[in-house]
Amino acid sequence: MKRSGQLLEDLQKRKKRQIWLAAAGIVLITAWSARETDFSVVSVVRGFGEIVRFIGQDFFPPDFSAFRSLIGPAVDTICISFVAMVVGAVLSLLLSFFAAATTCPYRWLQASVRAVCSVLRNIPALIWALLLVAAYGLGTLVGTLALILTSVGTLTRAYAEILEEIDMGQVEAVRATGASWPQVIAHAVLPQFFPGFVGWSLYKLELNMRASTLIGMVGGGGLGFSIQKGLKLFQFQEVCVAILMVIVLVLTTEFITGKLRERLI
Amino acid sequence: MSAILEIRNLRKQYADGTLALKDVSLRVHRGEFVAVIGSSGAGKSTLLRCINRLVEPSGGSIIVNGVDAVKASGRQIRRLRREVGMIFQQFNLVERVTVLRNVLHGRLGYRNPIAGALGLFSRQEIEEAKNILRRLGLHEQMYKRADELSGGQQQRVGIARALSQKPLIILADEPIASLDPATSETIMQILSAICREDGITCLVNLHQVDVAKRYADRIIGIRQGTVVFDGPPKALDDKAVGKVYGP
Repeated sequence: MKRSGQLLEDLQKRKKRQIWLAAAGIVLITAWSARETDFSVVSVVRGFGEIVRFIGQDFFPPDFSAFRSLIGPAVDTICISFVAMVVGAVLSLLLSFFAAATTCPYRWLQASVRAVCSVLRNIPALIWALLLVAAYGLGTLVGTLALILTSVGTLTRAYAEILEEIDMGQVEAVRATGASWPQVIAHAVLPQFFPGFVGWSLYKLELNMRASTLIGMVGGGGLGFSIQKGLKLFQFQEVCVAILMVIVLVLTTEFITGKLRERLI
Repeated sequence: MSAILEIRNLRKQYADGTLALKDVSLRVHRGEFVAVIGSSGAGKSTLLRCINRLVEPSGGSIIVNGVDAVKASGRQIRRLRREVGMIFQQFNLVERVTVLRNVLHGRLGYRNPIAGALGLFSRQEIEEAKNILRRLGLHEQMYKRADELSGGQQQRVGIARALSQKPLIILADEPIASLDPATSETIMQILSAICREDGITCLVNLHQVDVAKRYADRIIGIRQGTVVFDGPPKALDDKAVGKVYGP
């Protein structure tokens, strides 16, 4: 009894020491990074006034006469995001069967599909766009391709995980009726796969909408491109309208996908 | 009486080395209602799953209505499976589709792969599925999603799915192990009544010796992958039960 009490006390002491060490470590790293990046509270405060002046005087009031000319780019942004999601979803659907342990016939194939998707996913869409601009020039095609690449990376992984979590009992039961492979997939796998499939695809549409504005800035077309152009020409009041449109687009997409998800799942 | 199912020297060893079935031989006659008893891990489930090849046997032969299931090709296996209905402990209904559709799944083995995959069934098949549901008292639940039903109702849908196959044999793997005592009783009554009325041969894996004694024509006791008892319920006395479940 006495020995275990002693042990517990030692353990608590060690735990305390670890917490203090971790805290000290975090403080040290923060201080060092701040020094390296010239981050200081003083300069933040000094710059703050400048930001307020910049936004207040240069951006406002928004120049709504630019609205008409921005409708085209806005439609581009929507199309880029949507097409990228649909093409990405179709490609991922096919790939996911090879990326899931439950449906892939070979281990090595599963590992390589997953590796490729990991690369596609972990390189940001912005970088993909920069690389693709070199090959295809400026335009919406670049934005669409960049988003397809990241969509395939993300969705294949997500779909594969859904496939790995389905209830194999239901699959076994349909198999036991004498159903062939395509029938088992259609009747036992797809019904279980569907909600996750819809959920993830719609989420990726939202992400694409956000990313497509960023990609536009490096030459991927759409509203982002207009924003970048406006900034370079000092047409800040037009840029302001474009930014407001981005916000409205993203919020609307979020609202609509949310409603769709409720209805379908 | 002719044997509809004949198992000879069946052996099953899993990839991890577990010897689930050592040397099982038995004959089941047309229309018999057989209960298979034994403790968990005795090999009951493996035995049933070898018959419709959900599990690959390691040796021996299983003659189902004249066809050797152990040697069967892919196409033959599917043909065999559609004549052998299966009922599961966890019901294993496809939860997100309707009750009627779950019953129609029993027809998949009879449809060509494409039409079946698209869910195209003939008017006659749909009518028959509805009749089966009516017979099991589920016609009001027909268009509900399967997961909206209670456990007992779900198991009745499981029986309906098996029946829509127009099976020669029904394999029931612990059909009442997830149900309360009253519902268990109903399910066993329905299963035995239907098998007797339609002349379907039935193999039921059971935990409960008393249930087995009340419903079965014949009881098979399995222990560590071998048959240690095979006889009518009357012959299963305390000594025989001891042999099956052991000290």
